[in-house]
Amino acid sequence: MLIENVADAFVAVFELKILGLMALGVLAGLIAGAIPGFTITMAVVLTLPFTFGLSTIEGLSTMIGVFVGGLSGGLMSGILTGIPGTPSSVATTFDGFPMARAGRPGLALGIGVWSSFMGGIISAVLLMTLAPQLARIGLEFGPWDYFALVLFALTITASLAGENLVKGLIAGALGLLVATIGEDDINGVARFNFGTDALKQGFAFLPVLVGLFAFSQLMSDVQDTKSARKPLMEKGAKAVRVEHFAAIRAIAGNWINLIRSSLIGVFTGILPAAGGSISNILAYDQAKKASKRPEKFGTGYSEGIVASEAANNATAGGALITMMALGIPGDIVTAIMLGALLIHDVVPSPSFIGDQPVLAYSIFLAFFLANFLMLGTQAVALRAFLLVTRIPMYMLAGVILAYCAIGVFALHNVEFDIWTLFWFGVLGYTMRVLGFPLAPMILGVVLGDIAEVNLSRAVAISDDLTLFLTRPWSLFFLTIAVFSAIFPWYQKARGRKTWTLLFLPVLFLAIAPPLFMMGGVPRPAVGGILVAAGAWILFSRHRKGWKLEPPEEHEVHLEET
Amino acid sequence: MKALNRDTIVAVILLLFCGAFYAASFRIEETTYATIGAEVWPRLILAVMFALSAIYLVQSVRKGPPVAERPSGGFFGRYRNAILCYLLFLAFLLTLDVLGMLLGGIAFVFLALSVLGERSPKMLATHAVVAIVSVGAMWSIFTFALKVILPPGIILSVW
Repeated sequence: MLIENVADAFVAVFELKILGLMALGVLAGLIAGAIPGFTITMAVVLTLPFTFGLSTIEGLSTMIGVFVGGLSGGLMSGILTGIPGTPSSVATTFDGFPMARAGRPGLALGIGVWSSFMGGIISAVLLMTLAPQLARIGLEFGPWDYFALVLFALTITASLAGENLVKGLIAGALGLLVATIGEDDINGVARFNFGTDALKQGFAFLPVLVGLFAFSQLMSDVQDTKSARKPLMEKGAKAVRVEHFAAIRAIAGNWINLIRSSLIGVFTGILPAAGGSISNILAYDQAKKASKRPEKFGTGYSEGIVASEAANNATAGGALITMMALGIPGDIVTAIMLGALLIHDVVPSPSFIGDQPVLAYSIFLAFFLANFLMLGTQAVALRAFLLVTRIPMYMLAGVILAYCAIGVFALHNVEFDIWTLFWFGVLGYTMRVLGFPLAPMILGVVLGDIAEVNLSRAVAISDDLTLFLTRPWSLFFLTIAVFSAIFPWYQKARGRKTWTLLFLPVLFLAIAPPLFMMGGVPRPAVGGILVAAGAWILFSRHRKGWKLEPPEEHEVHLEET
Repeated sequence: MKALNRDTIVAVILLLFCGAFYAASFRIEETTYATIGAEVWPRLILAVMFALSAIYLVQSVRKGPPVAERPSGGFFGRYRNAILCYLLFLAFLLTLDVLGMLLGGIAFVFLALSVLGERSPKMLATHAVVAIVSVGAMWSIFTFALKVILPPGIILSVW
């Protein structure tokens, strides 16, 4: 079945036009990802209007190309100038830049590129094999479980998005509220249209997103006149020759680190809301802990580059697994991808892979191919990146603003969408200035309808609200939502307050009961392992007299990737 | 009177916003066929948002008045570029029916670049070229390749 689906998808994707579009997408993503201040999200958002006129597979393949290219682009500026192009490549600079300064920029780039490629391929394989399995699990979900999953996604995004959890949650709630404006999906009743016809249809997803995210970011980029007038990179970056063979040799001696980091990336991506900005730091920390020479990290050590780059590219596959199997975006970029799918009349859900296998596997295959294209176009992108860095930010910002207007108009051919872009641009910028994270709001806008429809279904089936606590999956998601809400306090107090020593074992013990409730053999077995692990951690910490350990070097925060 | 910190003001605005939307939710049509009314979900969100805004207010009041941290150049000085860009974009929108996407877009890009960048004759010429080439290219791609009918505006329609 898998082979049949892959073969059909192969026929659909292996067209010259699609490959060309994907190569363009990868190239655009590589360049955008390499420019500090530009994010992968922005690149994907700006690509979206170009895909309206394309077929579903063509459009989505192009956007996946941008996504994969963007994840790999960040390493170029990070290694050559010490400024990470995207937050996904922050940890790459820890060793990539010192290695480049020590006279091996070609090797550093090579290790980065090949680690990205390998991380991407590992996650593509897992995407193809795990997404259908996760979708099968998703078929067990009732509306209660879906509603709890959305709450969990919003809570974890808010908790990881900034220092102030309350601001993150307010942003998430505001996003949900924005999604309620216009005609209600269930009853067909207009809400909050304040007597205007234009608002009866509600806000289109794309203008809201471009306004909130791209418009407001461009305004932040040009806020300071001096820096806006300077070329994108004052330090400048010199052209270098990528040392492919030396890099492959270095990675071959580092394969355990590569696989571990890729797995960290994939599983971080599967978690709703956690993206490449988190996985690269996590993988770097784990690589350092597991290394025989941890003191070499930060001095231009290849293991550090491998860990960071393998993890951030692998995250994309993980995020796509959740989106394709459950219809829940793994991070902001996949939230936009979900929007793109909806624009192309594709609605991901647990039954989607089974119902439309060719399309689903075409998306998987496009992700797989995009990693090869990334490898092939890196050299061209490096040259283009060197040219783009000479342009001042204000010029790019002005041109992109006009492009945003044209792009959102192209969606429905109505001027109201450009007004939406404008007002949400103002709102997004204001929120940035006031320190409200945008990620929860964007997720709120995307997930609002899903939450409402499932709540409505749940109430229609039974007015017993305790079902939210007695159904295993719902209880599971609500439990981890509570722990994710506590996470910011845990992160701040870790290493200083004794109660933080309880966080992990209590989490293990708390998520075990819903696993026991699920029945069968594997899940209760996992629950048993979690109980044993939680008890063991508690016991060992008690034996050590609840001694606090020094906190990790790098805090985990979700940034706009 | 002690100066209010920015968060306190924002929290109060959010509380008022929740109140206004809650009041507006009473204008949502009630249906007889629905198991869950169209107003229930927005009210639930507003209740949560109100509670969170109240917590935010308490947090901000506890934080106390701001330490003298007025930015140099005042509010307009700090956010000048963003405010001017938003105003230019607003002007672009208001004149869209007259100028259309092509002329309006070129005018917007040229003015935005000239406001944000240097205004020497050489740079103004550069801005004009960038505006014409970039907007012209985008307009051509959308009009001819993607077959999107962009607003022509009165001026180009008359031509």
